[in-house]
Amino acid sequence: MVVADAQHHDVHQAPQHQGPSGLGWLMAPGYLRVLWTVPMMFGVGVGIMALIRWLEGWGPIWQGSIVTTLSLITIPLGFLGGIGAFDFWLRYAIGRPTEVDDHRSHGAKDWRGYFKVNTDHKVIGVQYVGTTVVFFLIGGLMAMIFRAELAQPGTQLVDTQTFNGLISVHAALMIFLFIVPVFAGLGNYVIPLMIGAPDMAFPKLNALSFWLLPMGGIMMTASFLVPGGAFATGWTSYPPLADHQPLGQVFFNMGVQWAGASSIMTALNFLVTIITMRAPGMTFWRMPLLVWANFTTSLLVVFATPFIAGAQFFVAFDRVMHTHFFDPAHGGYPIGYQHIFWFYSHPAVYIMILPGFGIISEILSVMSRKPIFGYRLMAMSLMGILVLGFSVWAHHMFVAGMAGWLRVPIMISTMLIAVPTGIKVFSWLATIWEGKIHFTTPMLFALGFLSMFLIGGLSGIYLGSVALDIHASDTYFIVAHIHYVLFGGSVFTIFAGIYYWFPKMTGRMYNERLGKLHFWLTFLAFNATFFPMHWIGLHGMPRRVADYAPEYGTWNLLISIASFALGASTLVFLYNMINSWIRGPKAGANPWNALTLEWLVSSPPPLFNFDEIPTVVGHPYEYGVKGARHAVLNGGAVHAPDEVAVH
Amino acid sequence: MSAHAEAHSNDHHGGEHPPAIYLSSRVPQTILGMLLFIGSEMMLFGAFFAALFFVRVVNEAPHWPPAGSHLPIFVAGMNTIVLVTSSFTMHWSLSSIKKNDRVGMQAGLVLTLLMGITFVVTQAREYSRIGFAPGDSAFATTFFGLTGLHGLHVIIGLLLLAAATARAFRGHFSPEHHHGLEIPGIYWHFVDVMWIIVFITVYII
Ligand SMILES: [Cu+2]
Repeated sequence: MVVADAQHHDVHQAPQHQGPSGLGWLMAPGYLRVLWTVPMMFGVGVGIMALIRWLEGWGPIWQGSIVTTLSLITIPLGFLGGIGAFDFWLRYAIGRPTEVDDHRSHGAKDWRGYFKVNTDHKVIGVQYVGTTVVFFLIGGLMAMIFRAELAQPGTQLVDTQTFNGLISVHAALMIFLFIVPVFAGLGNYVIPLMIGAPDMAFPKLNALSFWLLPMGGIMMTASFLVPGGAFATGWTSYPPLADHQPLGQVFFNMGVQWAGASSIMTALNFLVTIITMRAPGMTFWRMPLLVWANFTTSLLVVFATPFIAGAQFFVAFDRVMHTHFFDPAHGGYPIGYQHIFWFYSHPAVYIMILPGFGIISEILSVMSRKPIFGYRLMAMSLMGILVLGFSVWAHHMFVAGMAGWLRVPIMISTMLIAVPTGIKVFSWLATIWEGKIHFTTPMLFALGFLSMFLIGGLSGIYLGSVALDIHASDTYFIVAHIHYVLFGGSVFTIFAGIYYWFPKMTGRMYNERLGKLHFWLTFLAFNATFFPMHWIGLHGMPRRVADYAPEYGTWNLLISIASFALGASTLVFLYNMINSWIRGPKAGANPWNALTLEWLVSSPPPLFNFDEIPTVVGHPYEYGVKGARHAVLNGGAVHAPDEVAVH
Repeated sequence: MSAHAEAHSNDHHGGEHPPAIYLSSRVPQTILGMLLFIGSEMMLFGAFFAALFFVRVVNEAPHWPPAGSHLPIFVAGMNTIVLVTSSFTMHWSLSSIKKNDRVGMQAGLVLTLLMGITFVVTQAREYSRIGFAPGDSAFATTFFGLTGLHGLHVIIGLLLLAAATARAFRGHFSPEHHHGLEIPGIYWHFVDVMWIIVFITVYII
């Protein structure tokens, strides 16, 4: 990708690294060092394993599944060490003096800067978005393949195990490598700017957390190459099935660990940054809702993600070390996996939507030129979702054979979540009510989100009730629901966010006409793909099955055609992004006439964001309110949108 | 805030160093980060405790521990005393450097390290003599799961302490600057408290 002259705040006077001499090029952090650190770590891991097995007399010393599992830990460690993600801490650990203010790896001078361990939150944000979009495309291509298979009854293209592999890797990539981390990427770029901070609290940890992510993604994608094929148990990986699958299953168990660790570290960083680095005057009740949303999400990530880590470790242990966490023949409790898994994975749906809520709040307010309706209630409803979100996990298990008495309480708490969510939806509607609406691309996606997420939310209430859930369990109705929530919901907010901050990130404007084309293609193809699934689901078509009864043939053909159109609409997006980044018209500092702090600085922002720390004097959404200020610069410059009051 | 505004007056963008950071909280960033990380770690332990709970309580395991399996409560109890004592030596080390007593800091760290290593070695020997393997039953699985997870955390804590010790002997840390000692210390206290919970849950109840 070309970064053009975006980084005009070039670090030309930065001290250069001494040119490597002799074998120095093998020791300097970079892809060349990877060439020996990866084999070294692999060897160390296997060596320690062989030693232990030999000492304990466990035979055979060399066992494929153990070596594979171990390598899924040691090879990424070797890679990360090679590119230099650990250099600072290793120097620190052996007591060498460390320069806290070492900013040599800060900022990108050209495109190469984006392929290095970089500590600038803006570079990391772009790295995140770029990487996750790549995995979005890979996951989307997999969907194209299995939709082609599903176009007709019977099996034509792929065998059933491959089909299951495709749907599983599709889901795993979309969840763990796209939706969760792309929000971390957008947050990385925007949060420090929005709160008036020069960077994140822990820049080196930030760099490390980004680089953990592709490890997980490559692992999951590469599972197609192992004997037996990719993991094929869905993204839920339920035991005992998962323990009796080919080796590819381990690639899921371990891939989740890398993506999860990345997500926890970023969340820690967000929390500390938001708590300790807000500009003077920016109280919690003056924070933009995007910051509130990421604050809440980060709390969910920090406290829920360890549960999926545990769940995947247990499954991997059961397979590799023959333990019996979930093996009923030896006293294990298989439903325990589902409890532990969903204790993360239900909160995870909020991890996948709350940052989107934040993005929508920004965009609706700016594009309607009106203050956000019910700001405090918006922030508190986020906290309400956070708390309630931990009490509803078992609604995924109504048919799993869990304790019967748990059903009704869980149904009630599930229904209760509609209250804070409803508050948000009505507040958004009240925000745009009688506003001076600008139908820009981000606004179109935001409105698309509002309508589609409403459908997904309503079918969610439907599925939350025990009786209806039992009827609709494991049918395409579930597929329709999840895609209305995750595609119509999360992905629409992601597109909205990318278009909205594109001028800030690149310094250039995207093509509005192509943006609108992208929206309408996506919106129509999305509904044509997923709306009929409600229908065929209620008529009993089961999900996650390669073949189906001939009576569903017509609908499935239509769905497959629509899904190809949906895939094609992404090409418009990609063309627009790449082309506009290279030769789009220059965007000013504040193309949307917005109040929040990121629009106070140039596009793209200077290396350390603010030449002087702004002072926050008011609320972030006072659009159309005469004389209202969000922030002032100490130099006396006053930042206010130059417009007259609305109504 | 004006003090912060001045700090970078000669710096325009492209400059080498960031403007002075304005801190909106009196909690040091590194300590807040460590506390949140410990919260996350507690949830990881929570997942392991949940696995134990499911196998033992929900599944209504008939005998716990199953007939023929005995847990060496005495040895583990001695080990508990060793680990708890190491928390006090850690505390001593930190309060020494606050009083600029470098020898006390170094001695405290070395003692803590030694007791931590003693704990790990004792546990390894306990493992090899306990008479059952992780794959024998769900009971054995949860036993090795929880104590193993904790053992791993002791090792991580020891690595952090080793780094702090290396720096302590190389002249780092002072009465004003000792976060590099304080933070591994917080983690070490967490590992100790967690052990007490693991010990009670696994060995006693
Ligand atoms: Cu749920």
